[in-house]
Amino acid sequence: MWNDLKAAAFLFSKYVTRGNKGTVVLTVLVATLAFLQINLISGIFSGALGLIYEQTKNNYVGNIVIQPGKDQWGSSEEYITQVSELKRKINAIPGIIGCSSHYTIGSVVEYDPDKTGKDIRTISWPVKSIDPKDEMQISGLHNYMLAGQYLDESDRDQIIMGREISGGYGAMLEVQSLKGVNIGDEVTVFYHNGVTRKYTLKGIYATAFPLADMTAFVTQKEMESVLGIHDRASEITIRTDDAYPEAYYIQELRKAGVELPDIRPYQDFIGLVLGLAQTFDIIKRIVLFIGLVVAGVTIFIVIFIATVSRKKQIGIMKAIGMKESIIVASYIMLSLFYAVVGIGIGLVLLEFVATPYFIAHPLLFPVGKTSLLIIRSEVATSIICMLIVSIIAGFIPSWRVSRENIIKAIWG
Amino acid sequence: MIKVTDLKKTYSGKIPVHALKGVSFEIPSGQFVAIMGPSGSGKSTLLHQLALLDDPTSGRILLDGLDVLTLTDRKRTEFRLRHLGYVFQEYALIPELNAIENAFLPLMLLGMKRKEFIRVSTELMGRVGLDNRLHHLISELSGGEQQRVAIARALVNKSKILFADEPCANLDTENKGIVLRLLRKLCNDLGQTILMVTHEPEQREFADRVLWFRDGRLVKEEYIAKDVREDAIHNGYRTDVSSD
Repeated sequence: MWNDLKAAAFLFSKYVTRGNKGTVVLTVLVATLAFLQINLISGIFSGALGLIYEQTKNNYVGNIVIQPGKDQWGSSEEYITQVSELKRKINAIPGIIGCSSHYTIGSVVEYDPDKTGKDIRTISWPVKSIDPKDEMQISGLHNYMLAGQYLDESDRDQIIMGREISGGYGAMLEVQSLKGVNIGDEVTVFYHNGVTRKYTLKGIYATAFPLADMTAFVTQKEMESVLGIHDRASEITIRTDDAYPEAYYIQELRKAGVELPDIRPYQDFIGLVLGLAQTFDIIKRIVLFIGLVVAGVTIFIVIFIATVSRKKQIGIMKAIGMKESIIVASYIMLSLFYAVVGIGIGLVLLEFVATPYFIAHPLLFPVGKTSLLIIRSEVATSIICMLIVSIIAGFIPSWRVSRENIIKAIWG
Repeated sequence: MIKVTDLKKTYSGKIPVHALKGVSFEIPSGQFVAIMGPSGSGKSTLLHQLALLDDPTSGRILLDGLDVLTLTDRKRTEFRLRHLGYVFQEYALIPELNAIENAFLPLMLLGMKRKEFIRVSTELMGRVGLDNRLHHLISELSGGEQQRVAIARALVNKSKILFADEPCANLDTENKGIVLRLLRKLCNDLGQTILMVTHEPEQREFADRVLWFRDGRLVKEEYIAKDVREDAIHNGYRTDVSSD
């Protein structure tokens, strides 16, 4: 066995060193391109998917969200109660950076730019309340102000909006927005509970994450006066450190006596972009499949041509007593060589050319700017798949030719 | 010793071709036998069956008493490697290997150590007059040199029987002489059994014995007189330019 492998390796080394250099270079090039195609596209989509999750975590809901559970009759409770006590428990857990409670209520926001009633613009969207100080630790909205200022705790007749509601500032959904509310302009909010309030636009923010930018915020105190309730919340969002996964902190919350049933990690809140994420995943699989087929077929054709053009020599090798397995092994080594060198060059290009390039020139997706996210396990999967495909591509043609009758192989 | 009994080979097809129609003969060890006959007489087919490159339709082949047709494919491959040598009409070398690599390939397959197979094959390449061409690629050698590499490869495993299928067919006169004298020398010096297919009557004079074939049958046997053979060895295929 060992001796057979040595003989196969000897033949393989001669095919490479004394064979057609152009064929070697071109085949390695195709293997490299196939590997790059698989991992570049996959890396771009992984980057975009990662960005969606990061944006959800950093600019939308934090790491963990607590929402009201079901009541004893199975209906959803509208609010979490005794929020102050709950927040105290949450903040006492080691590793919790902070938490913020929100009220959320459906509303219609109306904007009359020239106050004549001739060009009234409306948008129907929930308005949320925040404690401006608490919220700084969760969504970091204060870091994303495009114009005006962030809310103060004492603000009562002020509102801030994401650019997808205010319009302008490069909003992606401009048509559905208020089409250009300016700082200092007055908007009217018709809350679904029948209360109507007028607010002055204090600030416009943009996180580049559409879900986060489709929200308007007032202060907690203002919302409590609108709703006529106190110390309640529609949701509590929590920021944790990165020492442990969200599941760990959810367990810690329950241990600490947070007994509400609906405690979920941020991944459950990608909402509208879930379809996008699933589409990215499907595209990644298609690209992997096509890349493997291209690499496999190319290597197959190269080995097929090599074995057919060397049919006579294969017949001679058998005639002098060489086992078929040695001949097949030498061609499998050749196809593995193409794949391994192609993968090697591809890895170098991926690590030292493509990744730095995309860091310097990120791609602009609807969810923000993204560069490559190379997931080691996915690269490893593509390498294993390419090696398996190359073994098959080397085996089939060489096995077919080496099975031929010696006389037929030699004389055709 | 080669013993062939009632060997038949039929190529199937719309019209079956009976290439060998019951051939029987014996060849003692150390004999140089020329197999002659017109095209289609079955001489190459016979060589292919004896060298275990093809399966006869029926009959028996004993090589040193072993019924080789009962061997499995794997055993036949090993038998060819250990005991048989084959020289083809068209050199039949591996172009990616240089001269000595072609010659030592069977020894490598036998598992001999590198140092040893280089020594053995170098010595043999010297015996066939190619000690100064060891590392030349096949494309850099003349037809005669290529055929001598093929002979070295066929002998490197100390084969019991050397089969040569028209080994001089593509060679010029000078190289024909070189190859035939080399085969004769191997037979004389090493006691090598040689079966050579040829269609050129002059070449038979280098052999000890001639088997004449016609229409798939052995029709005549001829023994070459010693003085005729000696004359062929000294004067056959000589040109004005000395080749030795």
